[in-house]
Amino acid sequence: MWSRRSLVKPRINRATLRLICTTTAVQRKNVGASGPEKYTEAFIKKQIEEFNLGKRHLANMMGEDPETFTQEDIDRAIAYLFPSGLFNKRARPLMKHPTEVFPEQRKIQWGEDGRPFHFLFYTGKQSYYSLMHETYEKFLNVQKHQDQLTAQDLPVQKEKRNLAGSRWLTKIELEEMLLEQVSDDDYSRFIQLLQKLVALPCADIEEKYIQKFSKELPVQLQKVVIEPLQHDERGVAFSTGEGKRKTARATAVVYDNGTGKITVNGIDILHYFPVLQDREQLLFPFQFLGRIGKHDMVCTVSGGGRSAQAGAIRLASAKALRSFVTEKEVEFMRQAGLLTVDPRVKERKKPGQEGSRRKFTWKKR
Amino acid sequence: MPVRWSRYNPSYLEPEVKKESHQKPLEELTNEQREQVELKAVRPIKAAPPSLSSSVFSDPMISKFTNMMMKSGNKVLARSLMSQTLEAIKRKQLEKYHKAPENEKETIECNPYVIFHQALKNCQPIIGLSNITKGGKTYQVPVPLTDNRKRFLAMKWLITECRENKHRRTLMPEKLSQELLLAFNNEGPVIKRKHVLHKMAEANRAYAHFRWW
Repeated sequence: MWSRRSLVKPRINRATLRLICTTTAVQRKNVGASGPEKYTEAFIKKQIEEFNLGKRHLANMMGEDPETFTQEDIDRAIAYLFPSGLFNKRARPLMKHPTEVFPEQRKIQWGEDGRPFHFLFYTGKQSYYSLMHETYEKFLNVQKHQDQLTAQDLPVQKEKRNLAGSRWLTKIELEEMLLEQVSDDDYSRFIQLLQKLVALPCADIEEKYIQKFSKELPVQLQKVVIEPLQHDERGVAFSTGEGKRKTARATAVVYDNGTGKITVNGIDILHYFPVLQDREQLLFPFQFLGRIGKHDMVCTVSGGGRSAQAGAIRLASAKALRSFVTEKEVEFMRQAGLLTVDPRVKERKKPGQEGSRRKFTWKKR
Repeated sequence: MPVRWSRYNPSYLEPEVKKESHQKPLEELTNEQREQVELKAVRPIKAAPPSLSSSVFSDPMISKFTNMMMKSGNKVLARSLMSQTLEAIKRKQLEKYHKAPENEKETIECNPYVIFHQALKNCQPIIGLSNITKGGKTYQVPVPLTDNRKRFLAMKWLITECRENKHRRTLMPEKLSQELLLAFNNEGPVIKRKHVLHKMAEANRAYAHFRWW
């Protein structure tokens, strides 16, 4: 019978007779299971020194001042000295500070006698459980404070913290903070505990602790820059906008002092879009702002199907109309969903299935 | 394992298309609505779907019904059938209106949208049955229904009724308009089906304690 230890297959080549030995799965070494490489502190320090020295050398090479050589200058210099045609940006030559290149790792958690430092080490998730213990301690603190106030008959503060302007840390940010893997369930439990803590009336005492886990959310409108109106030769004000939906790309030019005529690729919309739903979508931004008969529009569109082209032109016209309208109305348009790019695209077909979701007919035998 | 997911980040909120909700001044809103407004200012919002529009003619219930009537993604056909149905309802009601004597003219409802909404409301069941297996046997247990489920069942019954129980030559708009008018007056096969369901639920009242939710 075949010996399961090793299989020797002689392959007859014209030049040589090579023996190719293969091993079974049991003996193959699993490289991935040994985990990421561990770096010592001395190693990282050496890397930082080398990086700083290399930075000064690079500055000298490029003829610039070594003292004021920023990271952007380094990136530009490396891209100039080592031009690479690789598509993947992460595969190109890179020179960054070692703290960005080597991920932060935990130091060894036990002393020379083998005894771990942290009392929760043997739970496996020591940072997570210690965090939960701390948060619950704060929770009990707040409750005790509340009871003291009610015992002394003092009024309990009921100012609600404004939740709209901030968000909790995401799971990835929490993992970075704790330097260990956090599962989805653990993360949701932690967030629920934080929400319970914030819901208590006297939670202002632990405000500093809560701020460690919340981040400011900027008001959405401030992220977008509204372009000013342009004027063409006749003095008519106009503005342009671009939109896309699925594979369709559209550009729209909206003119002021118009009669409400809309032209798509040189054809009137009544002929280009015979379906009522598409024409409704084109007129949606104008109808929302109440400016139906006041603007003229000329658009070009390519790609996609009938409905995708209509959606693309709708987005383009809404973006163009932003320049004609006050900031408040732009905010209303955003809340009506007129200014967001629709990310839905056709889902890919997967191997082993007939379509993106449909499986092959299941046969018992 | 198939998991329901969407291309949007979970922090995206649903869009609000109606013009009136944006024009309300801040003082009139309750505290919860004020919080909602503040939340909307900070969170990103999903794009409005192509079937939704701020014009007076777009109605969410009618679009839902049109989508349920649609076969193989042929929205053009479904929408034209829907508009023909509404036209047929209007025509029938106008005929009745012109033939009726003076004192009854006010009671006849001519607006097809009002008739559609009222007919759907009349068809909605209050209580439903669900199969619960206990000790090897499956029982039909009476169960309360959510609003969405009620609307869905009413629309589903109307559509199946129109597709199956009709003469080969009658077209969908005519049959649908007939059914809607009957449902508006609390008659017709769909209302009967609703009553049958209610009676079954009443008969199986003994098993109501099997429900654990």
